[in-house]
Amino acid sequence: MSRAILHIDGDAFFASCEQARNPELRGKSVITGKERGIAASMSYEAKARGVTRAMPLGQIRQVCPDAVILPSDYETYSLLSKRFFDIVRRWTPDVEEYSIDECFADITGLRRQWRASYRDIAASITDRLAAELGFTFSAGLAPSKVLAKVASKWNKPHGLTVISSRRIAGFLNDLPAGKVWGIGPNTEALLAKHRIMTAGQFARTPFSWVKAHLTKPHREIWYELNGESVLSVSTVQDGPKYSIQKFRTFTPPSRDREFVFAQMSRNIENACIKARRHRMAARGAYFILRSQDFRHTAVEVSLTAPTALTGPIIAAAREALPSLFKEGTAWRATGVVLTDLITDDDRQPDLFGAHVAVERMRRVYEGLDSLDTKYGKHTVWLGSSHLAQVRERHAGERGDLPERQMLALKGENGRRRLAIPMLMGRQAA
Amino acid sequence: MFTYYGRMTPNALDKLRTFFRSNGRMPTFRELARLWGFRSTNAVAKLVRKLTDTGALVRDRAGRLALADPFSSVRLLGAVEAGWPSPAEEELADTMSLDEWLVRNREATFMLKVQGSSMTGAGIMPGDVILVERGAPAREGDIVVAEVDNAWTVKYLRRRSGRMVLEPANEAYKTIIPSGELNIAAVVKAVIRKY
Repeated sequence: MSRAILHIDGDAFFASCEQARNPELRGKSVITGKERGIAASMSYEAKARGVTRAMPLGQIRQVCPDAVILPSDYETYSLLSKRFFDIVRRWTPDVEEYSIDECFADITGLRRQWRASYRDIAASITDRLAAELGFTFSAGLAPSKVLAKVASKWNKPHGLTVISSRRIAGFLNDLPAGKVWGIGPNTEALLAKHRIMTAGQFARTPFSWVKAHLTKPHREIWYELNGESVLSVSTVQDGPKYSIQKFRTFTPPSRDREFVFAQMSRNIENACIKARRHRMAARGAYFILRSQDFRHTAVEVSLTAPTALTGPIIAAAREALPSLFKEGTAWRATGVVLTDLITDDDRQPDLFGAHVAVERMRRVYEGLDSLDTKYGKHTVWLGSSHLAQVRERHAGERGDLPERQMLALKGENGRRRLAIPMLMGRQAA
Repeated sequence: MFTYYGRMTPNALDKLRTFFRSNGRMPTFRELARLWGFRSTNAVAKLVRKLTDTGALVRDRAGRLALADPFSSVRLLGAVEAGWPSPAEEELADTMSLDEWLVRNREATFMLKVQGSSMTGAGIMPGDVILVERGAPAREGDIVVAEVDNAWTVKYLRRRSGRMVLEPANEAYKTIIPSGELNIAAVVKAVIRKY
């Protein structure tokens, strides 16, 4: 049976979150990402003025002098993102949270339950999203995920595009192959070598050729483009994490070894908090430094015993530091990836009896975690992270806080706020 | 496994165990009075006697009170009498949290910190936090959040000679008669003032 897959995409999601809560921003060129120094998201007004993603702030002020440039308020965006998925789940439990601002939903077989056509179900979902969240979403309805993604992009913003099995060709004939979800620059170049320039040409290529020249993920795309659903909508919510990563940029870039290490230490603390929350332990870790000119140095280490405790991993990072850190280079970001995660329950105690000391440390960290639960993240931190904790993360205007964080209600503090988005801006008498 | 200690006592014992667990010691008679809601320590002594008689409390060699099973993991669901349980926890299933009481549609609820005194007559003071629901149908007489000249405004929604207007609850303010389409963003569902 042919499937009915919906792809829903927030229109200029972060900028829309800002405009929806503050009517003063309606109709204006709104850009988020001030703290990063580049545009993370821009409203349709800003797009019309020529502001593009990742454009530096200085350039934005040139092409669009009246732009409103805001620091990202990820807390609010995340709250609204969760609401977005929860609203879609009113119609179907099969919702895949693909990223903060887009999801797939499988609505196959739900016509009778909702007494509506697939198109009408899709339209009611996007209507409710716009009504309850205050900004628009674009949706694509098609027999497969890859086609649904083509459809949702077809008519942005606030569009609903249906690609029925019979009308697939019309959508793919002029679509460059590289625009298809999952076809990257390398595959695009390979296809171009064989004179396959558009998605339509790719879809019409005999499968024998596809099988001979491409690997499984691209064979799947071929099926999907031909209207045959092979990629299922995965509904795993926050399931097991197989790696955990924490990256953080800071400005200005630093040549100070101890400051850079403190940033790394802070990332490790964060990654370990997350690992403990998911009851995972890491058997390995990557440490990464990013320099001002976007070069990277990285070191991979394996840990003697699986752990989610900060201490051993920081010790490993300290050991790796000489091969990561180059004197005289200015560094702008550090990151850690905890790899080879296993669930904490099936850990074996190591053979040398160190588990007694480990058990003691575990109790210490349990205490720290409950402090964080009660008083907010980073109530206490390790001495090795201290420099990163006390120095402002971003110097100058890039250090501006989101307005919501400065608007504390009684009983809220710098660390914890009510989990309800706040309407902001001027109020008329 | 349930142990029967007598009527009314499981609750008292639970409180005692909780105290013991969080303080690491037994309470004094004064503390017990507060814990059990008695005014006199005499009443405390009576219940303590009853508890020692049934074996729930014991006295150590120095004569101090101690719990017979300080870390009982069995949650007592109330005493069993005449074969009928009184399942206190089941009764709690019919209660709701403050969140559930205040918020009807979680996904559509936003908050707004009120500025200005135009709604004081409706008990909405400057600085109050109101919970508002987006996308809810606004009916005449509802307090709504409307968008007027790129600003929010909180007002009563009223009908005046066939058209919808925004009416303040304060005589010092004027009714807003929208020139174009009235843009209602949300309906006010609750006012919260935290002292």
